[in-house]
Amino acid sequence: ISDSCMRRARGDGAEESPRQNGTAGRRRGEQRADSGDGDDAGGGLGPADMPEEDNDPGLRREIRSKYRDLINSVQQNREDMLSPSNNKLHEVLEEANKLFRDVRQAREAALDAQLLVVATDLGKEKASQLFVEGNAFDPSAFAEHLLSFMGLNRLEEGDEEQQHGGGVDGYLPQDAWHRVAERAERCFRTAPCFHYMMGSFHAEPPPPKQRIERQRKAPSKEVKRIMPTQLKKMEESQQEATEKEVERILGYLRATSPISYYEFVIDPKSFSRTVENIFHTSFLIRDGLARMYLDESKLPCIAPVEEGEVENGGLSSRKQCIISISLRSWRELIDALDISEPLIHPPTSQSVSQ
Amino acid sequence: MTQRKRLSQGKAASAPRRSETLMGEEEDDDIPFTQPSTSQVQKGLEKLTPAQVDQKTAEVVQYFLMKDQKKIPVRRADLVKHVVKEYRNIYPEIMKRTARTFEQVFGLKLVEIDFKNHVYILINKLETLEGAPVRSPSNPKMGLLFVILSVIFMKGGAVKETLVWNTLKKLRVDPGEKHEEFGDVKRLVTDEFVRQRYLEYVRIPHTEPLEHEFRWGQRAELEVSKIKILEFMGELHDRDPQSWSQQYKEATTPSSSSQPSTSSQR
Repeated sequence: ISDSCMRRARGDGAEESPRQNGTAGRRRGEQRADSGDGDDAGGGLGPADMPEEDNDPGLRREIRSKYRDLINSVQQNREDMLSPSNNKLHEVLEEANKLFRDVRQAREAALDAQLLVVATDLGKEKASQLFVEGNAFDPSAFAEHLLSFMGLNRLEEGDEEQQHGGGVDGYLPQDAWHRVAERAERCFRTAPCFHYMMGSFHAEPPPPKQRIERQRKAPSKEVKRIMPTQLKKMEESQQEATEKEVERILGYLRATSPISYYEFVIDPKSFSRTVENIFHTSFLIRDGLARMYLDESKLPCIAPVEEGEVENGGLSSRKQCIISISLRSWRELIDALDISEPLIHPPTSQSVSQ
Repeated sequence: MTQRKRLSQGKAASAPRRSETLMGEEEDDDIPFTQPSTSQVQKGLEKLTPAQVDQKTAEVVQYFLMKDQKKIPVRRADLVKHVVKEYRNIYPEIMKRTARTFEQVFGLKLVEIDFKNHVYILINKLETLEGAPVRSPSNPKMGLLFVILSVIFMKGGAVKETLVWNTLKKLRVDPGEKHEEFGDVKRLVTDEFVRQRYLEYVRIPHTEPLEHEFRWGQRAELEVSKIKILEFMGELHDRDPQSWSQQYKEATTPSSSSQPSTSSQR
């Protein structure tokens, strides 16, 4: 069976080295043809062979053992044998032929038959490779090329470490398979994977966040310890300062009343001071300690309210108004009223500002 | 629950099934689905607003997109049970719109890969361009899959599993050991890739001990370009791809089985 397979194959794959050659193969073929059946043990024995070595148990055992070795080697090295680049299968058959000459008993012949079955199977596969008309694809060679593509660093000879199955020694880079994947993905028309752009809810963050908060709390506590005392001072000073300012201004008012409102509040040297003066003056109005009125020229004037009048003047005659002032009007007022000096002197202590 | 049963029964309009469905109370959603007729679809559409149909279509689209993340094909039965539900009477219309949405909005093709069991996958309508920048980090599993698919293709379409394992071993990937990158290789190749329909892993009859054969799966047939594989082979071996004449012929013949068919009314 294997013969016919191989002969056919030889016809097609001329470049392959001849696997079945003359003597051994033909001899087997003759023997088979003579006996009439393919796998029988007895056929082909010459009647003249005499029994001496026939019954030597040692020799019998040896032959059987050798057959078993051959069978094993075919089964274990299947891939190797299949490779079109070697003749190992043929060598096995040669061996078997040699052994067969010494076969005398059924047991040995049965082993021979078994070997033939295994070898035939392999032969058939090997032939089917050839059928692809010299398109033989050798996966081993493919693997070699791919390893190079992956960037394998082949080591020098004499390196002790033997990698898998005695293959090429060397280190594969970390991204070896990524390289293959990148090149390979171009052959695919895979739908891109769906994913949310901003990601979805992640149950993870809380633990790390807690840690961060705890760490932050420690320093901030210290800072806060310092802060309150400072803040308190500031707040107190702010309130106190305002009250002090208002009183001071009341003092000025009482000293120079009644007076044109703008002459009173404007500080020709500082717009912001002017605004502050207006602000503080408004407290006097609010508390009923001063009053504003329009004089004959319809200009606003301001005058202090006598102590006795404060209660009376109270709620009934209270009116409210909003005063605004801009830089421009401030300058215009300075020009129009010819104000050269502030009536309310700026406070000597540091100014209270927000 | 019973209400839904009545609804679907009425609209699917096949009375003899009533006796079947009354049996499994817990599984009343697993009513075997039969494709409604065109007239039934028409009637169903009349009772719904366009907004409702659009909404249901959108849900189906989203279901597919999520399922496609794992590349596991979508079964019609699951789709009907979990998403389409009471709209099953207009199922063909929904699928038609879904397919159109995928094509026009996403550039994807919805393909029925199994006409008997009604299983769908999504593939890309567009080819990857040669010089295009890599848009996302490559998945090394694709590299492994590619190796296996290449071997199968170059060897004529079917290989014994031992050939695949031996080739992988030469690449430092041993199915018997845990791999740094791939983990349980055997499971990845014989289970995950098979479920994704990239590979087929079939028993070879009368083998002792039991052996299997690897072939290309339906998804591979649709997604993978044989000619591009051959080109890569040529690059690796420094050979003209055409020198593998048989494989080249296989790669360049448009075969009817690999033509993707969009899901449509059957």
